[in-house]
Amino acid sequence: MIKYILVALALGIIAGYVNNNYGPAFPNGWVSDYLFNFSLILLLFVMGFVFGADKQAVANFRKTGWKIFIVPLSIAVGSILGGLVGGYILGINLVGSMAVSAGFGWYTLAGPLAGQLFGAEFGALGFAANFLRELFTILAVPLLVKAGKYAPVASGGATAMDTTLPVIVRYCGADSLIIAFLSGFVLSLIAPFTITAIAALPR
Amino acid sequence: MLVKLVLTMFNPMIMIDLMVVLVAGMALGFVFRNRKRVNLEKVTLSTILALIFSLGFNIGSDNELLASMPRVGVNALLISLLTIVFSVVFLEIARKAARIK
Repeated sequence: MIKYILVALALGIIAGYVNNNYGPAFPNGWVSDYLFNFSLILLLFVMGFVFGADKQAVANFRKTGWKIFIVPLSIAVGSILGGLVGGYILGINLVGSMAVSAGFGWYTLAGPLAGQLFGAEFGALGFAANFLRELFTILAVPLLVKAGKYAPVASGGATAMDTTLPVIVRYCGADSLIIAFLSGFVLSLIAPFTITAIAALPR
Repeated sequence: MLVKLVLTMFNPMIMIDLMVVLVAGMALGFVFRNRKRVNLEKVTLSTILALIFSLGFNIGSDNELLASMPRVGVNALLISLLTIVFSVVFLEIARKAARIK
């Protein structure tokens, strides 16, 4: 499974680079909009179907109830603290490094936003750090799942609702679908606010 | 300016669409839960690969992202790894405390 994922990822990066830099054979949007959105919508439908048909998964979700929202909140706190420790080790602006990790893996948001709030250097950092979070999550799901049943959900952050969701569900089981999606959804929802709120702290 | 930037990046409609599709799939799955199961493995796997391919495509065609990597790569690596480790640890502690199965 992870073998196929690596190959698909590598082929995608090469295809994207070649198409973008050596005269487009087709508009980038064909892949980045149409193929991306189509496969995402189809996946969510199929995974939803499998979840709904799985009696065990539905019963497990009912038992968890409202406590499910503890998941994204603890992930948010952990992420921001990770940024604080990272900034301390690197000796960079702590508010900036916390804001960067408050993007929760959503690099297309965190990059431009951190750039706007902290300057170009933090923009690049927000871009790269959050992109790496997404990449590492996809690559490390088989390992992470051994650390804890929902560890890949934490690692995926905001991306647990879309790009990393199918890989997470494949390794964590059908009953992880709702927790992963809701956690990613909540983190995506609060990311713009956590970044701007942290930026308002005294630096 | 900042508000405008957040609004352009933050598109609630896409998130609502995803939610609708997911709930529709769950409802249909629930309705047909006693029917003979069709094997969706092949569909899921090929769609995952299409999704990962387009994720890679987005990375490869993003010159700004590629240019930022050598400049801030080491810092980004450390911050992303610490972010992952701390979020995993905090989630596991919270899960134990709240007894989430």
